[in-house]
Amino acid sequence: MGKEMIAMILAGGQGSRLHVLTEKLAKPAVPFGGKYRIIDFPLSNCTNSGIDTVGILTQYQPLLLNEYIGNGQPWDLDRLFGGVHVLPPYQQASGSDWYKGTANAIYQNIGFIERYDPQYVIILSGDQICKQDYSDFLRFHKEKNAEFSVAVMEVPWEEAPRFGLMVTDEDDRITEFQEKPANPRSNLASMGIYIFNWDILKKYLEADEADPQSENDFGKNVIPALLRDQRRMYAYHFSGYWKDVGTISSLWEANMEVLDPEHSGINLFDDDWKIYSRNSGNPGHKISSGAVVKNSMITDGCRIYGTVKHSVLFAGVVVEEGALVEDAVVMGGSVIRRGAHVSHCIIAENVEIGAGAVVGSMPEKETSAGVATVGSELRIGAGAEIKAGAIVRENVKEGAVHD
Amino acid sequence: MIDTRADALAVIFPNTYDELIPEASHLRLMASIPFASRYRIIDFLLSSLVNGGVDNVAIIVKKNYHSLVDHLGAGKEWDLSRKNGGLNIFPPYSREGIGVYRDWIQALESIRDFLTQQREEYVILTDCYIAMNFDFQDLIQKHMASGADITVVYKKEPIPRPLMELDDPEKGHYYTLDVDGDKVSGIHINPKDKGVQNVSMNIYIVGREWLINTIRDAYVHGLRHFLRDVVGVRVDQLDVRGYEYTGYTARILDRRSYLEENMKLLDDANRDALFAGNRIYTKVRDDTPTRYVGDSSAENVMVADGCVIEGEIKNSILFRGVKIGRGAKVSNCILMQDTVVEENAEIDRVIADKRARISAGVELKGTAAFPIYISKAQKV
Repeated sequence: MGKEMIAMILAGGQGSRLHVLTEKLAKPAVPFGGKYRIIDFPLSNCTNSGIDTVGILTQYQPLLLNEYIGNGQPWDLDRLFGGVHVLPPYQQASGSDWYKGTANAIYQNIGFIERYDPQYVIILSGDQICKQDYSDFLRFHKEKNAEFSVAVMEVPWEEAPRFGLMVTDEDDRITEFQEKPANPRSNLASMGIYIFNWDILKKYLEADEADPQSENDFGKNVIPALLRDQRRMYAYHFSGYWKDVGTISSLWEANMEVLDPEHSGINLFDDDWKIYSRNSGNPGHKISSGAVVKNSMITDGCRIYGTVKHSVLFAGVVVEEGALVEDAVVMGGSVIRRGAHVSHCIIAENVEIGAGAVVGSMPEKETSAGVATVGSELRIGAGAEIKAGAIVRENVKEGAVHD
Repeated sequence: MIDTRADALAVIFPNTYDELIPEASHLRLMASIPFASRYRIIDFLLSSLVNGGVDNVAIIVKKNYHSLVDHLGAGKEWDLSRKNGGLNIFPPYSREGIGVYRDWIQALESIRDFLTQQREEYVILTDCYIAMNFDFQDLIQKHMASGADITVVYKKEPIPRPLMELDDPEKGHYYTLDVDGDKVSGIHINPKDKGVQNVSMNIYIVGREWLINTIRDAYVHGLRHFLRDVVGVRVDQLDVRGYEYTGYTARILDRRSYLEENMKLLDDANRDALFAGNRIYTKVRDDTPTRYVGDSSAENVMVADGCVIEGEIKNSILFRGVKIGRGAKVSNCILMQDTVVEENAEIDRVIADKRARISAGVELKGTAAFPIYISKAQKV
């Protein structure tokens, strides 16, 4: 028996705007929210929505992502028929290709999809933080008797020109698509999440591939082609929390928003829609006498002897005596030595911030100076200073200043 | 075949000292008592076995094993969900004619068919009341090299208080050893000697064939206790060796030692001794990280994931999913999973079992020797 709907997650982007954070790992594997990686969100959404077959399309730095996904057990996606599969580009009899575009990535995996003989395919993005019930989206798609549906968010009109916009009639049928227009005629932004009837998708992918002029991209080529042919295309309104964490500042912001679920709208503490992740296997965290922890999220294995305010600490982070961590995201295994001050920054995994070092120093409590970022496995020497907004790619010597 | 497995299987007796801690083992057996903020006692033993290459584990349960079965599932979290070996749980009545076993001899006789069919050369026999990070690989190798009939694991320490206080041998046995080099020359049953002794940890390794034959013989003769009746009386005829364990142990034997052993982990040196080394696995719950909100404060605490702290916590161990309301004060407590302490409640020296709820404004104060125990899902 075929599957009603399977999911394909586009996780192939290089994520170059995340700079040093994605030099060693694919963007979907970037850690988020204390114990998650970005890919946990679409995967958990699939599981919670009843989708048990998921393909992850990836081509950059797939090693860690592959290991992280494993057999899919943490997401309950270890299945006899279906489950989660990482799908890198592969050598075919007629030659091999990198994924040329989003549509081409799906095209190259038509064989995978056909194994499951689905009625519908949902295309998801691997770099968004969002809790969404895809089964409700599918209900809408079926109700409208649609051939293609796209999830849309209302955005403020002044921001609309940054997005792909759907112009719709009163029945939510899409009449026009504007890609980042100067003069928007709609404020319904595409979230890059689509449901297709599989027969339609396959037909358009094949036609798109046959067109040598095409960039093989859903937004640029496939959706306009569907519109030209006046296919039944609908816009599904989503109003929950949704964030593209494609930049350092949006990633930092989204982590800070996790600390304030009452106002920000991203609630990870909801038992009815859990986000699953692979477990670190550490014992509970320790907060020592004399430590101060305020408005923060602390994960298993952390040890806090200093002060942590309004920060997100991943598994196994150590904050030594006299150190101050404020408005910071500190990823797994990093150590903040004695007296160091770490603020308004992202510290990647397994970093050592030397004694007395200052990261994200900001003149006079300015807040617009940008988020400082320290790449994984680096050592910042004792007494060094990393300025606000700096991006650190290499070890920093004792006492050095890094802009 | 590539040799990644140890040539030993393990048989675990999880009910041994249940009688000593009637409160917490009322609903569950000793092995599944929660310990160290996110584990059960058995996690330490299973993880040690798996990390030592032992992936064929039999557990012979007697009573109150529902929570253990629920915790272990198919053994996936310990990598014990296997085609060969893996986890086997033997409930009572697993063999006709032998009902609920009273002692190890009966229990082992009841799984004789299973033991006969296994391929491993050696069997590790152990009960399950000690949290430790034990190197079974080393024990197996030492035993193999010695060619002994049986190797008994012991630790040089004073006899634990709850055992010293044990008067009724029907509630449990404990043993100390006379050790000469690595030879065991004498075994004492329930001794009352003060000072450091060679206290048996009730972990043994024997040859599988030897065990099957010895147990059959002992069972026919109506013998009951493995170390007392089989090994102890023949210590001069058998080749019995001692294996000294020098690592960290937390022996849980009564309510007081439960509180003390948990609290000891607030000391970094003890925590490192227990957790440094191989990883301890447990059932994953998919909790979020713990949130500290508003005017919360925390001092000298060990806290697992999934908690929400809005009040004050001090000198305490919090298991997964505990909620501390605004203005609540918690000190010297052990709060097991999903305990809720409502607003402005004040508790001191309280052990709260799973899903207990302490209502707003309630004050509870136990003492070090007699901590207050709140049973599972009880509302105060």
